[in-house]
Amino acid sequence: MSVGAPSPGSPRTAAAPLLDVRGLTRHFTVSGARIDVLRDCTFQVARGEVVAIVGQSGSGKSTLLNLLGLLDRPSGGSYGFDGEDTTRLGEGRRSRLRGEGIGFVFQQFHLLERRTALANVGVPMVLGGVPLLRRRARARELLEAVGLGHRLHSRPHQLSGGEQQRVALARALSRSPSLILADEPTGALDAASSAMIMDQLLEQARIGEAAVVVVTHDPKVAERADRVVELVEGRTL
Amino acid sequence: MLRSLTAGVVLAFAGSRANIARTILSCTGIVVGVGALVMVVTASDFGQRYAVTTSEVQGGLPATLQVEVSGEVTDRAALEADLLRVGGREVSLYQTPTSHPLLRTGQNVVTDMSVNGVDPDLSGIRRLDLARGRWFTDADTASLAPVLVVNESLAERLGDLTRVQIGTERWRDARIVGVLSDSSQDYSANSAYLLRSPASEDLIFGGAEAAAGPPVDGLPPGAGFGDPMARSTYLVLFDSEHPAAADPFGQEFRTALGSVAWRWGADVPAEGISAFRVDHAEAMREPLRYMSWGLMGIAAVTLGTGLLGVLNVGLVTVRERRRELATYRALGASRTTLFVAVVMEAVVVSVVAGLIAVGGSLALTELGALLVERFLPIPDSVGLYVPGGAVLVGLGSAALVGLLAGIIPAARALRASVVAGLRD
Ligand SMILES: Nc1ncnc2c1ncn2[C@@H]1O[C@H](COP(=O)(O)OP(=O)(O)O)[C@@H](O)[C@H]1O
Ligand SMILES: [Mg+2]
Repeated sequence: MSVGAPSPGSPRTAAAPLLDVRGLTRHFTVSGARIDVLRDCTFQVARGEVVAIVGQSGSGKSTLLNLLGLLDRPSGGSYGFDGEDTTRLGEGRRSRLRGEGIGFVFQQFHLLERRTALANVGVPMVLGGVPLLRRRARARELLEAVGLGHRLHSRPHQLSGGEQQRVALARALSRSPSLILADEPTGALDAASSAMIMDQLLEQARIGEAAVVVVTHDPKVAERADRVVELVEGRTL
Repeated sequence: MLRSLTAGVVLAFAGSRANIARTILSCTGIVVGVGALVMVVTASDFGQRYAVTTSEVQGGLPATLQVEVSGEVTDRAALEADLLRVGGREVSLYQTPTSHPLLRTGQNVVTDMSVNGVDPDLSGIRRLDLARGRWFTDADTASLAPVLVVNESLAERLGDLTRVQIGTERWRDARIVGVLSDSSQDYSANSAYLLRSPASEDLIFGGAEAAAGPPVDGLPPGAGFGDPMARSTYLVLFDSEHPAAADPFGQEFRTALGSVAWRWGADVPAEGISAFRVDHAEAMREPLRYMSWGLMGIAAVTLGTGLLGVLNVGLVTVRERRRELATYRALGASRTTLFVAVVMEAVVVSVVAGLIAVGGSLALTELGALLVERFLPIPDSVGLYVPGGAVLVGLGSAALVGLLAGIIPAARALRASVVAGLRD
């Protein structure tokens, strides 16, 4: 059964990259001093492509991912998402784009603590106005797909780390995003869980034809990517 | 926009259900505050109706003037026509009979009682709650026997109402056509209304003529020798807007009436006419209003305290919830959605608290009504109940408190950056 939700409304051309990052910079000002975290990031990500971002701790990987996820605004440069220049977009449109086009998997899972797995997976669909019954059905289906069909009504604290991350993955997939952003998704997990999560992440992305940008310093993760982008002192190599 | 709103409402409901402790904590202050407010509105509404009814039973509808004319009245019909002409809407005699008659059944004479001579039109001026029987009709004026309506306590003292007699030394049969219910609004002493009719004329006015001495040749009876104490009393109903009603001492009215006194009175001096308001609902309304303002103030303070409580819980939890709210934003929630969610959550909690408060107030009032009924005989129209307005005021202020207590935390929650929230 097809569970695809409508993808972002803007027109796509097969040739155009999904992500078009050019000269992106980001600096912070901490008590008067300017810290240049991202100096020049330029790269593209095609639809369905899996890209690993690697680099030393503190090199700005998370900062870059936050920009890609529209959670933060760059200091300079441009960031095209699905043919739209996101730096010109208002807050409302960015929220919409985030909800419809992007799925997040965080290192610390960020599940809603008092809500069941089913409810957690349903949240993006609540925000997208998907009716209750359809929401339930799709959440159940996704949880079954990541092997948690028997834990629908468990709350996060009742689940292991690997299971929580699988709930988070199901949540990220719930609106069939064209981009999945994962910031060290296996960083808090043991080797066995890590492998399982990566398997499922890549498998689900392939099924949903979603591109994946995954930040990692795990070589095993990086080697499964189509391409590796390295960040050194805020510049992409 | 609409989608934002509905999503916000869904999140708010889920949030208040998922965080029971937070919800209950927020509730308590509001329950007490809203409860106090509802009770105050209920009490002042009750007080108001009680005052109005008391006034209408003891005095008359607004605005009722008691008009007294000292001196001999030679043409009552002309006087009564003039009372209407100067602005009265209804006129009824309201005369303490000069003969001071008593009632009896057999040898059972009731001595501690009062009688007033009245017209059928009194029913349009004063509130008359009949326990049984009926009020006077114009047909009663043709009765050969004096016709009376008595109150319940007098009826009880008399016993068999079919063999009642009226008089002092000379007794004659009387007809009782109705019994007025006793209530805490009248003084519940033994009282009777005696219908003015040919059959009762001498009981009501005769004493005065007798006291005035024998008629003098060429002059109308009583003239010149008139009992200086002879006094005719009427109740006159005016429109509340009539100038005579606005002037409690009836200056204007007295002057107007005094200028035509020659038509119906012999030797009635202008200062022989007096008029004053006998309905006192307005007079009682003032202190009642101050009282309910005071109580309202207390309720408002209580509600304000409740508001601070909810606000506090809201602010504390927003700090706690930074991560949760940042997560929502990462998942695509707009600022509007989260604003609605946080505000709605406070409103939902407050309205639930308001409903609990209204429920409690209804129960308390029910209990109060049982006590009131027991110790304070009051007509149904004065019954103690929670008026619809009080429920609306209660729920409305609960929602308002929720709104106020929700907006500040919501604004705070939206100021935090998503990235910072996720890093917490
Ligand atoms: N909001 C901020 N304010 C100041 N400095 C920041 C902020 N966010 C990140 N940084 C700094 O930027 C650098 C890169 O951080 P980050 O992107 O988290 O690195 P990585 O994820 O590669 O480990 C770090 O030195 C960090 O201290
Ligand atoms: Mg990082």
